[in-house]
Amino acid sequence: MFWHAHLLSLTVAAPFVAALVLLAAPDLKGAAAKTVALVGAAASFAGAIAVWASYDLSQGGLQLVEQYALVPAYGISLHLAVDGWGVALLLLTGVIITTGVLATWTLEVREREFLVLLLVLVSGVYGVFVSQDLFVFFLFYEIAVLPMYLLIGIWGSEGEVEAKGPFAFVWRRFKVGGREYAAMKLTLMLLAGSAAILVAIVAMFFAAGGTSFGFDTLQGAAYPRSMQLWAFVLLWFGFGSLGGVFPFHTWSPDGHAAAPTAVSMLHAGVLMKLGAFGVIRVGMMMLPDGAAYWVPYVGAVAVLNIVWGAMSALAQKDLKYIIAYSSVSHMGVVMLGAATLTQDGWNGAIYQMVAHGMMTGLFFALVGLVYHRAHSRWVPGMGGFAKRMPGVATFFVLAGLSSLGLPGLAGFVAEFLVFLGAWQSDHAWWAVPGIIGAFVTAVYVLRVGRDVFFGEGPAEGFEELSDAKGTEWAAIVALAACLVLLGVYPNLVLEFIHQATTEYLPLVLGSGATGVAVLP
Amino acid sequence: MDTLTPLQWASLALFGPLVVALVLGVVWPLRKAGGPAAGLSLLGATVNLAAASVLFVGWLGGADTVRATLPWLIHGGPEGASMIELGLHLDGISVSMLWVVAIVAFCVQVFSLGYLSDEPKAGFGRYFTWQSLFLFSMNSLVLAPNLLQLFMGWELVGLCSYLLIGFWFKKPSAARAALKAFWVTKFADMGLLLGLIVLFVHTGGFEWTATTAAAGTVTLLFFLAVMGKSAQFPLHIWLPDAMEGPTPVSALLHAATMVAAGVFLVVRAQPLFAQAPLTGEVMTWVGAFTALFAASVAVVQTDIKKVLAYSTCSQLGYMIAALGSGAVLGGYFHLTTHAFFKALLFLAAGGLIHAVHSNELSHMGGLLKRLPVTGWTFIIGALALAGFPGFSGFFSKDLILEGLFDAGAYGPLAMLLIGAFLTAFYMGRVVFMALLGPPSEHAEHAHEAGGAMTLPLVLLATLALGLGFFAGPMARLYGLTYHFHLGAVGITATALGLAGIGTAWIMFGPKQGLQGLAAAFAPLGRVARSGAVDKGFALAYRQALLGLGAGVAWVDRYIVDGLINVMGYASLAFGDRLRAVQTGNVRDYVYAVVAGLLLLGAFGAIVQG
Repeated sequence: MFWHAHLLSLTVAAPFVAALVLLAAPDLKGAAAKTVALVGAAASFAGAIAVWASYDLSQGGLQLVEQYALVPAYGISLHLAVDGWGVALLLLTGVIITTGVLATWTLEVREREFLVLLLVLVSGVYGVFVSQDLFVFFLFYEIAVLPMYLLIGIWGSEGEVEAKGPFAFVWRRFKVGGREYAAMKLTLMLLAGSAAILVAIVAMFFAAGGTSFGFDTLQGAAYPRSMQLWAFVLLWFGFGSLGGVFPFHTWSPDGHAAAPTAVSMLHAGVLMKLGAFGVIRVGMMMLPDGAAYWVPYVGAVAVLNIVWGAMSALAQKDLKYIIAYSSVSHMGVVMLGAATLTQDGWNGAIYQMVAHGMMTGLFFALVGLVYHRAHSRWVPGMGGFAKRMPGVATFFVLAGLSSLGLPGLAGFVAEFLVFLGAWQSDHAWWAVPGIIGAFVTAVYVLRVGRDVFFGEGPAEGFEELSDAKGTEWAAIVALAACLVLLGVYPNLVLEFIHQATTEYLPLVLGSGATGVAVLP
Repeated sequence: MDTLTPLQWASLALFGPLVVALVLGVVWPLRKAGGPAAGLSLLGATVNLAAASVLFVGWLGGADTVRATLPWLIHGGPEGASMIELGLHLDGISVSMLWVVAIVAFCVQVFSLGYLSDEPKAGFGRYFTWQSLFLFSMNSLVLAPNLLQLFMGWELVGLCSYLLIGFWFKKPSAARAALKAFWVTKFADMGLLLGLIVLFVHTGGFEWTATTAAAGTVTLLFFLAVMGKSAQFPLHIWLPDAMEGPTPVSALLHAATMVAAGVFLVVRAQPLFAQAPLTGEVMTWVGAFTALFAASVAVVQTDIKKVLAYSTCSQLGYMIAALGSGAVLGGYFHLTTHAFFKALLFLAAGGLIHAVHSNELSHMGGLLKRLPVTGWTFIIGALALAGFPGFSGFFSKDLILEGLFDAGAYGPLAMLLIGAFLTAFYMGRVVFMALLGPPSEHAEHAHEAGGAMTLPLVLLATLALGLGFFAGPMARLYGLTYHFHLGAVGITATALGLAGIGTAWIMFGPKQGLQGLAAAFAPLGRVARSGAVDKGFALAYRQALLGLGAGVAWVDRYIVDGLINVMGYASLAFGDRLRAVQTGNVRDYVYAVVAGLLLLGAFGAIVQG
């Protein structure tokens, strides 16, 4: 029973242990180092599957509880437990880290150090999803965010942005679009968000009596309404920055474009979800009055995110920027679902985290693969790649179809639920720009597919391209299979998500929020 | 029927092609082998046809509705959780459509064996993979037990359309046409999605039998999607371009089945549409206008496939107009007859194109002698389309016109009657230009293709010729009754049709007469070729959508992100200024400490005092 009793801590620790092994063995290079990382990642994925298998739906609630006191004086404890949302998000993290390591097999620069940082980061992600103590939650959150600085700064790729506009003078200080710039901007913006989160957490801790950071304590506390109003904004800004909320999203295109493949996969696939998850789990559930007051604005900004991100993606010429902006747009769907405060909307929001994670993971794996071979991200120079890489072209279109919400693929289920939730909320009109955003997605995503892969070709200078091979195939096929599986049989994870939503949504609605408009 | 239950037959029809598509999709060596892939796909189509025929015969005999559903998606509303379901729904409407799709799909696949035999093996296999996927998607639409599944099938056939139009993806024009088709229909599909959501929130389900006060909104939203899928003005612009796909694809998707999905939706959701008189009014006018407009444009096309494409828009307009004015039998029966004769026309046109290696009517001529089977079956299809008495199109078109007359929609009726004249005229023009007259130099070496390409034509021609006499049994399938009666409207339409053929004979027959009339058509030709509607959409796309995108991206990069950069710049600049304080001079630091102490002291004095 040891395994079962410590399933969550083992899952969280598996990548971290692999990172320690890599640190302790400087001689491990190349394939050996990657194998160690793969074992760590796969072990955590296996843990996530075990969690999924052992979670008892009929009971619901928090399961697989582990609790170890850390700082008793402040009521801080390493309190791990999983709910239905956690089940789904652990699975997502497992898939992304495993395929991410597989997709990064071609990396040849300081691969040991790269993998150490990547594995530490992913341990943090797992930790966030199972923490039941806000202090530990925040600790894991930072562990997940900070390694990004090095990962992008050292292993990133360079881009360039023309100096234009009213603020062109800033180009004198830094090279906008460069990898160090991208790494620095990402880190600073997310840290500004963290600072806001920290202020809100401390305020909540004291307002709840100053005895415990446990979710159970903080969740039920009677915070004064005035405090909820400002603390919610801090949490929305803080977590929302990582979730790509407009106008704090601009770290994302530069960051994701500069980041190496596995990092983009992990960052857009999982990390951005931490932000949206934080807004829901901490912001909305712990500060229901604040949520009730701010939800119309949160939803309106989410709708703006969807359309803004899609319209921006439409104008990009850099392959990675297109995908990065599409993440900004799709994260808007998550936030929109959250803001509806309806069962369908929340189910859809969490489902969209999973669906978008897999989809964008696949996108970045494919784009990284193209970049690795073509040494270019400049779409207008490409064309006809399908002749040399038919497999990549096929899966690119598949990912695109999921992103534009084709039935039978994961994206449709998520978007459908969110729009359904939006129409049931007090703000039915939210569904309309949401649906328009899905249409614009169809325009830019299929257009870039055509520009890169179809037509005569391959374009000049790209005669030597080749299709995916070996571990790259494993990553691509696994992610694509997940998209299809989640699209065809959504209840596989939706039942778990639904379970948690039914327990959590009343916490928010119970205290005066009027999310659901009852229609005839 | 003895051995398997109807549900089992239906599952066979639905999942047979899916299994084929999955096997071909996953087992790439099989797909890349070409021939075996085609064989497997054809096996799927045969199974599908067998199952559909068994069901069709069963329902002709008057079977009851059969329905089976499985839970698919959790929905949690204010009143608790429930399951959104998927499944099968068998009644006269779905079973007859299933049968139509099965026959046309089978014929098209057989025809493709010959038509695409010059393709590289990998492409050949890919083609049949998409064909099987299409068959599954279309069947899941047709057999849908609720409108959500219908929508899912609807999107999937749109995907297949995208894939098959872009089959020759190395050709930039094909890749472009595929995108255009997908975008235009996807744009329209937003209406269907939103309509479904509104319907669900109001009725708690996706049933087409629901009664709701929101029926007007819902059906208008649905109709937007119908206009996209069934190529109604002004969303018809994708269909002529879709002819970039292989001709058998045009026959199956873009003439017989997929484009008819819009009409099928209206038939299926008739209980909802019946609650919305305004939507009916809109449909009648849009349909009638499309019928007339597209027929006029078809008159001046020089590409045989373009003539047929515009003809399809036009005929779909007839169906939409009929359904809008409540002539359900006319609309649905015309869908059926049109599926057969238009598929026939496209396949036969494919035979002609195959023979002369050109789509241009002027490159054909005199082909009837060289390709007798293809030529004569084409003529049968043309006569059916022109509404020649006795041919299937005659009966269904008559039902539509009578229906509009009974509903008192005289304006649209007049448009459709002019359309009937034009239809006969443009088909006569094609027949006289392509099949009769002197052969062009391209047609010198043309010869009849093998059995794979002629047998499907004969089968479809039989149906195009004879189906009209089975209007009674078909009507019973839809739960309606049919009596043949030729009224004043029918006689007028028939006379107009004959006049159209006659005019075409005078102008494009051996005499080449009435050239003054041809000159009169010239401005129409210029308008049609200028593609004003197309240009409008292109402008909206380039200027409005892309322009807005460029604007948003600029603001995002240089203002929103610019402000973030300014913050970074400002903190660095501030740091630079502040650095001047760090002189490294001990004396300065001592001054600072003393000044600080004095300030603190003063502050303390004020607070204390």
